[in-house]
Amino acid sequence: MERSASAPNAPLRILCIDDEMRILRALKALFRDFEVQLCNDPRQAVAMASQFDVDVVICDQRMPQMQGIEVLRELKSSAPRAMRILLTGYADLKAVLGSVNEGEVFRYVNKPWDNAEMRALVTEAGRIARDAAVITADPISERDAAEARTEVGILVLEDDVNSQARLREILAPHYQVRFANNAERALQILEQYETGVVISETESRQGDLTSLLKALKIHHPHIATVVITERANAQTAMELINEGQVYRMLLKPVRMGSCRLSVDSAITRYWKLKRNPRAIQRFAVANLPSFALPPSTISESLLARIKGLPSRIVQIVRFNS
Amino acid sequence: MPDERLAWREQVRRISTGRGLRNRMMTWLLAILLIVAITAAGLLFVRERKLVRSLAALQEDARKREASQAQVIHTTKLASLGQMVAGVAHEINTPLGFVKSNVEVVADLLAEYEQAVTNVMTGVDFLLNADAGIADRAKALVIKARGQLAQATGLNEARELLTDSVDGLKQMSALVLNLKGFARVDRDGMDLIDVNDSIRSSLSIASHQLRDRITVETELGALPPVRCMPSQINQVFLNLITNAAQAMGDEGRLRIRSAAKKEGVEVSVSDNGSGIPDNVLPKIFDPFFTTKKVGEGTGLGLSIVHKIIQGHGGSIRVNSVIGKGTTFFVELPIDSKAQAARAGG
Repeated sequence: MERSASAPNAPLRILCIDDEMRILRALKALFRDFEVQLCNDPRQAVAMASQFDVDVVICDQRMPQMQGIEVLRELKSSAPRAMRILLTGYADLKAVLGSVNEGEVFRYVNKPWDNAEMRALVTEAGRIARDAAVITADPISERDAAEARTEVGILVLEDDVNSQARLREILAPHYQVRFANNAERALQILEQYETGVVISETESRQGDLTSLLKALKIHHPHIATVVITERANAQTAMELINEGQVYRMLLKPVRMGSCRLSVDSAITRYWKLKRNPRAIQRFAVANLPSFALPPSTISESLLARIKGLPSRIVQIVRFNS
Repeated sequence: MPDERLAWREQVRRISTGRGLRNRMMTWLLAILLIVAITAAGLLFVRERKLVRSLAALQEDARKREASQAQVIHTTKLASLGQMVAGVAHEINTPLGFVKSNVEVVADLLAEYEQAVTNVMTGVDFLLNADAGIADRAKALVIKARGQLAQATGLNEARELLTDSVDGLKQMSALVLNLKGFARVDRDGMDLIDVNDSIRSSLSIASHQLRDRITVETELGALPPVRCMPSQINQVFLNLITNAAQAMGDEGRLRIRSAAKKEGVEVSVSDNGSGIPDNVLPKIFDPFFTTKKVGEGTGLGLSIVHKIIQGHGGSIRVNSVIGKGTTFFVELPIDSKAQAARAGG
């Protein structure tokens, strides 16, 4: 039966990848009203995904032939329309970091999952996959890149002097970098300047910064967040993906190469989103029953300012109005 | 009279020869010697007391050290428990994932099936009560509902999901049993065990560290039962397996062999990892010696292994070739009651 995946009412096409057949059968039964393809050899996944034109990929992390993040990294370029969900039995930090930095996953789900949440998540992911435009991985032209670098600012939210100095050294020669020691100052900068990338610690001396990052993401999903952290733990990292849709997560001390690469691709993505705002929802956390976004711990006034930030993207799609 | 004279003369002679004086001097000398002796004895006594006291302190130290070693054994036991919990969480979450999902889906499928059955029954009731005028319509309704029921695949699907679930539950109970067997929470202390069981149990506990990248080969020979502290012996194998896994990086082959020896058993754990450099080799059993990065290892692993094996009256040897790999040989006597009692922990 030939059916175009983009036909809005056709059932979602889901590709499930796991070496454990029983997990695959359980997912097939859970999504019995969707079109589900099962794959228990990750090496076949790429071929299956393109042949099947999938909307959503659910992939296990630990498989004997291949790691889930590798599969998702390949699918990112071969099936860019598909939304990627990583399913794991045990959240180890390496896998979480890999899933964000390499796999650019939409969500990270732990086994055992909750059926209702999983269905809601996959349904939403499928809707986005069909609805939202695709941002390609192609590099932008040299001229665009130069323009992006001069127009789009980078905000560094970090109160450690050494780390600030290090980032200044790496970034200042190439980008419009502005530094903030606290949330207050960060918001001033965001209000004043067009900012495409926020580089932030997970905590400052004044406390946790992750809720700020999450709130910023809810209201301004086009801004890419790059998290730098010293004491990474798998749980926080996972929450930052699922509730903060962070773009990259770097461990301190920040290395020149990976930092430049991350910031470059973050700016490029911002630039592309600016040209193609319909793709923004791919990187949003709003509209999701998303394991019920936890109540934010940031102050009302700060939240109001975050909501009130000027959106510098033309005809931005408002998700939370 | 002559007696008196004799006594007097004697007196004179004594004085003239100075014997009385000598006697008195002797008395003094004796007195002084006595004092010296008493003083010396006193001093000796005090010193003795001091010695006794410092000996007691030494013993106390030894006791403390033993206690802290027991503490260290306990701590690493906790660490390996933690590792075990992580491993088991990983192993158990997969079956838990599909069993949980399946049970919920089966409930939905049954509800759907129930609806199909209800439809048929309603139709049948309708047909039974129908008069001639609507009999045909009632019949058509029953036929349709019956057809739907016949086509409903819910029960079959549910059965398949339940079969998988029973499987998953078995797998989980095996894991829990294994965990109990490994930790020996219900019976600590000496026991007669088959060391091969200990190896298998340690392998399964370590499996989450191995399964993606490391091939495990086992050659387990028939072994006589060994009297030992199983929880400690498990710790030894888990430690050696974990070390081997870490030495091998991304890929490798772990080989475990066991064989009966004349008066005990020998187990060897080999990896084909990086090997241990010559300057490091003599230090590997030292407490707190580690080559791992800060935060990755306690530096207590092999020293604890060594201590446990020693406590059991066994021995551990290592053979390592750079770039080829490392083999640890553990020898355990069949009855190590006396030795293990000292090991404590």
